[in-house]
Amino acid sequence: MTSATADSSAGRVRGRPRPLRPPGWTRFDGWGVLVLPLLVFLVLVFVVPLVFMLSRSLTDPSVGLQNYRDVFANAVYPRVLGNTFLIAAIVTVVTLALAYPYAYLMTLVGPGWRMVMMGLVLVPFWTSILVRSFALVLFLRDTGAFNSTLQSLDLVDQPVPLIRTLTGVVFGMVQVALPFAVLPIYATMQGIDRRLLQAAESLGDRPAGAFWRIFVPLSAPGVAAAVLLTFVQALGYYITPALLGGPKNTMIGELIVQQVSTVLRFGFAAALATLLLLTTLLLLVVAGRFVDLQKHLMRQP
Amino acid sequence: MKTTRLLAIASAAGLAVALSACGGGSGASDSSLTVTMWGGAAQKAHVDSYFTPWAKTKGVTIKQDSPTDYAKIKAQVEAGKVTSGPTEVEPNFANTACEGGLLEKLPQDILDKAKATGVAESQLGPCAIPILQYSFTIAYNSKTFSGAHPTTWAEFFDTRRFPGKRGFWKYATGGMFEAALLADGVKPDRLYPLDIDRAFRKLESIKKDIVFFDTGDQMTQMLASGEAPLVQAWSGRIFQAQQAGEKVANEWRQNLVSYDQIVVPKGYPNKDLAFEWMRWFLDNPKAQAADAEASIYGPASEKALELVPENIRKELPGFPANAESSAGLVDYAYWAKNYDGVTERLNAWIAK
Repeated sequence: MTSATADSSAGRVRGRPRPLRPPGWTRFDGWGVLVLPLLVFLVLVFVVPLVFMLSRSLTDPSVGLQNYRDVFANAVYPRVLGNTFLIAAIVTVVTLALAYPYAYLMTLVGPGWRMVMMGLVLVPFWTSILVRSFALVLFLRDTGAFNSTLQSLDLVDQPVPLIRTLTGVVFGMVQVALPFAVLPIYATMQGIDRRLLQAAESLGDRPAGAFWRIFVPLSAPGVAAAVLLTFVQALGYYITPALLGGPKNTMIGELIVQQVSTVLRFGFAAALATLLLLTTLLLLVVAGRFVDLQKHLMRQP
Repeated sequence: MKTTRLLAIASAAGLAVALSACGGGSGASDSSLTVTMWGGAAQKAHVDSYFTPWAKTKGVTIKQDSPTDYAKIKAQVEAGKVTSGPTEVEPNFANTACEGGLLEKLPQDILDKAKATGVAESQLGPCAIPILQYSFTIAYNSKTFSGAHPTTWAEFFDTRRFPGKRGFWKYATGGMFEAALLADGVKPDRLYPLDIDRAFRKLESIKKDIVFFDTGDQMTQMLASGEAPLVQAWSGRIFQAQQAGEKVANEWRQNLVSYDQIVVPKGYPNKDLAFEWMRWFLDNPKAQAADAEASIYGPASEKALELVPENIRKELPGFPANAESSAGLVDYAYWAKNYDGVTERLNAWIAK
């Protein structure tokens, strides 16, 4: 990231050629070797297990594509995989719709309120997902605080079914994902020079126009980061949909856990996980054709 | 770039050390036993009543792990580094894992001793002895059903007479297929092999009223809150909730008896110590009775049952009145063969 920022500042200086960099390690000026322990760590805990998992999906219980054939032989797995992507997409849209105005408001209020708003995002962020999901179950269930309040106010006759429904899953997952969207969006918005908006208005644009034409595009990197973080994270959710969802909202994570822990079909579970990983990567590649991910995530010119 | 190369070598060395560390040591000392169970209050009761007293006389250290994780057992055995000693498992796992070579075969004298001390032969396996019993009962919210409550599985499935959601354990061996077939009129002695198609048809008839739970906490919470005033439950949990003041109760008619077993994963370095404990366990009905009192799980042997105080005994599957009205024992030999296939169908049915 450091080198990326250095690059971008260098790129913005006009009229001067970019400094020539020798290839290889030396571009990190020797300090780059500090990255090595992290690389070793990542290889050990991420790359090696990933390779093991991939190979297991092709070798357990026998060598070949049997596990992948099994996934598609039973309609339930493709359907749940599709369902997983659908739920992740809904969660991403809802999260974004809530996080964007929230982050924008954070840039407008004074330092005291900003602390409060930041706290409201961070405290749940630091609380265990299991605890939060279970609290939501108690809150949202038919006999829970939400429904009994509605009923005691005579607003509804029958409790509104909120858990074991798509509403419940989305509610719970959005609640978990919000900090991951608010934080990057806020970080980007904070860096936007508001004088640009004033300049636009002084040149005759209406405030709304200035906001849409100047502020929104400039906040795009934060939004792109938020979308990626929320979406990819939502794909792997397991506890929240298991607690708040109904049978129709099963996500692929639950089936993978079941295959590993109760049926003990490690190879089949590995195949499911690999398919999830591949479809995610494929989606990122497709998204990359429409959005310049590198530009938005690395903030390179 | 001398420093670079030096650091690269250092990290490579670090990697090598880390890798070799993964490969070394089995983690078991000479006089320790790592006990793995399902966790919670029950595990504490089990360890207190039938591991600690034995360990004290032998100078053995008891280490604990929880919950039981079949994937971990399989991974440990495959990797040849087994750290789990006596492990509480479900009988269908004990069956398949024993056949699959994941578990230590028990010495003949332990099996003989088990039979001699009043353990039901149907609950013994070549790799496993039973340690506790419970029942899948019709549990009901006594506030919702203050008058009549369902007393048979047929009534449990009768959503017209007894409206409200029904809770089932989202688990193939959780008794729901047996309950559906009994509700559909299958005689208890004709239950196995299960007619899974027929069971699904019966379940389909009340599908919109079914809620599934994954854990015992969810189960009691669902029942006590009235969200699902009827639950196919684990008897002990319901009695514990009742003792804690919740308006819940067990109906023992047509209860399905189930049990957990203790096994030792293949290649456990202190397996002889584990076997020694098993002999002690079987010889000590008093310890089993103490455990039943603390955990509300029935003891493994009949001799121990007699030692449990009456107020607890009436909430155990072995209590004569409960045993008489039982619909039988869950047939885990059947489940060992059919678990994977039925689980697959259950997943598909639930997601539909």
